[in-house]
Amino acid sequence: MTFGRPFSLRSLRRTAIALVLILPFGLASVVHADSAENAPPEVKYRQTLMEIVGGNMGAISDILKNRLDLPGHIAVHAGEMADSAQLIGPAFKKNAQTEATDAKPEIWEDWAKFEAAIAEFEEAARNLQTAAAGKDSSKVLPAMKALGKSCSGCHKPFRKPKEESFHNKNRK
Amino acid sequence: MIRKRSRGDAQKRFRYLGSPSYRALAIIGIVCVVLSAWASTSARAASDVAQAESELASEVERGERVFRATGGCSCHTNYPGEAEAAPLLAGGRPLETPFGVYYSTNITSDVETGLGSWSDTDFIRAMREGLSPDGEHYFPVFPYTSFSGLRDRDLVDLKRYLDSLPAIHRPNREPDAMFPFSWRATLAGWKWLNFEPLVIEDDASRDPQWNRGNYLVHAAAHCGECHTPRTLSGGLDRSMWLAGSRDGPEGELAPNITPDRETGIGSWTVPDLVWYLQMGIKPDGDDTQGLMSEVIEHGYAHLPSEDVEAIAIYLKSIAPIENQVSAD
Repeated sequence: MTFGRPFSLRSLRRTAIALVLILPFGLASVVHADSAENAPPEVKYRQTLMEIVGGNMGAISDILKNRLDLPGHIAVHAGEMADSAQLIGPAFKKNAQTEATDAKPEIWEDWAKFEAAIAEFEEAARNLQTAAAGKDSSKVLPAMKALGKSCSGCHKPFRKPKEESFHNKNRK
Repeated sequence: MIRKRSRGDAQKRFRYLGSPSYRALAIIGIVCVVLSAWASTSARAASDVAQAESELASEVERGERVFRATGGCSCHTNYPGEAEAAPLLAGGRPLETPFGVYYSTNITSDVETGLGSWSDTDFIRAMREGLSPDGEHYFPVFPYTSFSGLRDRDLVDLKRYLDSLPAIHRPNREPDAMFPFSWRATLAGWKWLNFEPLVIEDDASRDPQWNRGNYLVHAAAHCGECHTPRTLSGGLDRSMWLAGSRDGPEGELAPNITPDRETGIGSWTVPDLVWYLQMGIKPDGDDTQGLMSEVIEHGYAHLPSEDVEAIAIYLKSIAPIENQVSAD
């Protein structure tokens, strides 16, 4: 009984070529699975923190765009955003190495600029809180607009665009 | 009895006319008549000028509304490269496409490098037919495919508005694209394949707001240019109208904006859409990115709310298309 030449040079070379060709795909799928599922806890926390900020922004929008009669609510949401702004810096301080994030490396490369952007956001949120608590309702919308701009002021330089998002899907 | 005038009466009258006091009176009278005639002529001229000015003012005002409805012609300002300091509407913005990088043109009223020497006819022809005053084809990165649907009045008004803005001298730049995509002559073929000027007529069975939305979405706001996927030859795939594109301008992903619940904007209400187009804030509180944030900031946010509502109502009325646009 003969088995021929199970480890012939040719078949070895073929296997090697096949492995070299397949390996990147295999690795990529492992990395991808990891990125989709396993964000380190500190990354998960800061994502939740940003969702809270976004939730408040969405809540204020709901009140204004549907003209809901909920006195005092906007000021509370704006106040929560300003308070949350103070948590952003400490939450992002540690640069956790993971694929499961939309945070750009520029945050840690230019920390001072990042902090300045957060400070602007906090100020804009306080301004909206003051405007919403005040008597002149015409000041609310411009303050909201400025707050929206301060979101972009930080997202533009420091958050991956949706084309590069780890979510890798359309955000609505 | 009818009394006839006697010669003597006439003589008396003439004698009276010859008196110095009458002469003075007559001169004053003539001067008054001449003065009043001159005054009335110049008043008429002044009122003509005033009328022309107010007509121009209202053309400019209406033109701004068209301008805002296009998204503030944002592609013609190089915001990404030069931020807020970018010379307004002076072009030079690189627009990445699958065919190469094209640079937007100067649409200020500068005579040498902008539209300063253009007639209204030149402007209408460029927007309707994608042809320069010299008869050269424009690359379809300039969305004449949509702007061709703009009505004459709106086009002239838009030109008046552009003319009212500061002229900036800045020469246009040729594209960085491979042959044949850099060659304008091939565009005749492209147009034959992909371009038919739009004519948007009102649908009598729909209300005016829907019709306004239909007109704005198709023509001025040119939503389909980014939100509709393109065919291999770069034409719009009309079977996927507004269903989202992975190859939007500047390499951006343009979401599905048909009212499909899962993959489009089916879960957005009309107030959600209006708020979004005015504030750039999505229903989940997130902000807007990329070119869309610019067309909101410099365009849609400045539209009268009835126009934004018309856009929202129209978008909610079209057929939903299931198409998940993902970046991979």
